[in-house]
Amino acid sequence: MKWAFPLTLLACVAVQTVLLDFVSVAGVRPDCFLLLVLFWAPHARPETATLQGFVAGLTQDALSGGPLGLKAFILSLLGFLTARLSRRLATEKPLPQFWLLLAAAGGAGLLSVGLLSFFLGPPPLLATLRVVVPEILYTALLGFLVLRVPPVQPKRTRPA
Amino acid sequence: MLWRLIAKHRRAVILGATLIASFLLMTLQVRHDPAVVAFTRQAVLMAVSPVIKVTAVALGSVGQVWQDYIDLRTVRKENLQLRREAAIRERRVSQLEEQALETQRLQGLLAIRDASRADFLAARVVGRDTSNWFKTILIDRGSSAGIRRNLPVIAPDGLVGRVFEVTPTLSKVQLLTDPVSAAGGLVQRTRVAGIVFGNLEAGLVVRYLPQLADVAVGDEMITSGLGGVFPKGIPVGRVVAVERRSGALFQEATLQPKVDLSRLEEVLILLQPDAPAGVEAGGLRQK
Repeated sequence: MKWAFPLTLLACVAVQTVLLDFVSVAGVRPDCFLLLVLFWAPHARPETATLQGFVAGLTQDALSGGPLGLKAFILSLLGFLTARLSRRLATEKPLPQFWLLLAAAGGAGLLSVGLLSFFLGPPPLLATLRVVVPEILYTALLGFLVLRVPPVQPKRTRPA
Repeated sequence: MLWRLIAKHRRAVILGATLIASFLLMTLQVRHDPAVVAFTRQAVLMAVSPVIKVTAVALGSVGQVWQDYIDLRTVRKENLQLRREAAIRERRVSQLEEQALETQRLQGLLAIRDASRADFLAARVVGRDTSNWFKTILIDRGSSAGIRRNLPVIAPDGLVGRVFEVTPTLSKVQLLTDPVSAAGGLVQRTRVAGIVFGNLEAGLVVRYLPQLADVAVGDEMITSGLGGVFPKGIPVGRVVAVERRSGALFQEATLQPKVDLSRLEEVLILLQPDAPAGVEAGGLRQK
């Protein structure tokens, strides 16, 4: 369990850099690092989730052409908030789950736009929307589909 | 006393520390691009490069196995003997087609190499940018193969970008279409100079073209050689739109890149000596 997060992070690196290229829609790919933090944070304490978000974000930044710290900032905050609010917002119903994922991805997208505008100057609105909106939708949809996959249960054997 | 206070509010302290560290990293990078940022980037890249390389190789193998499986399914309807022969032929044809395509691509690369006096190094594309905001690729060659930061990267059809980060075994290439990329360009027909910028949308934008300059749809754009990063004469793209605003000093042109940057498999790195860092190519440090 101790190595579960680092291992899934490495898997996420492989998926995001190599595999997702094959399922990109109009050049836009879902954000697996965001989903990784969203899925781990409810099972961790807020301080752990914050650090997990920071490490995941820093890894994503290092593999991207963007400024180092951009995703680290966003995912740290997201990890913290998810861990803090997970008990209140936990739900098994599909539609609220999708809306929550959409809100998380949307919040992260808007924060990205805000930080990029602050550090690199405002990007063109139309082009930004063409990147942000599909990314948010695609990420939320992928997260929703992953949540719908039933977990593999170990087979129970009857005692003799 | 202080330690107790920190322990008591550890959640807020950790959140604050990570947010401040992230913000500080961004600020430092945008302002100065210090060694700590480059070190962090390289350390993470080096740590994950084996995973990326192994995944790329495994994906190729799985693709081959999957292709074999598909081939076998199509010929299963025929009798055993024919199926075997057909499967072998199918596989051979597939392999030969793949080899032919690869040979074609490599011949294109070699043609460039032969036509130029510069030294080149071929590399395979093994990964792409982790965000949708920036356009970079990962290639399977690094400093151990002689690659350095800011070396130009090309494909048979034209310019691809420049080397952005280097680790011993892996390098990151900033594509021409990256929103923070910039390169000096020249309209081949009229020799008008401008600066080619990447943008979030597909395509390139040429700015700082004089308002009265002769630029038309269909014109070919090549690198100007100014700045010293990209050699002169590499095809960049074709003009697909020209925008002239009344009262403006400059006109803008939209370019269709010569190279399909979304389908790159192999690239060539120009091992030209003494490319000055961050002069012509864009980047965060220029901000």
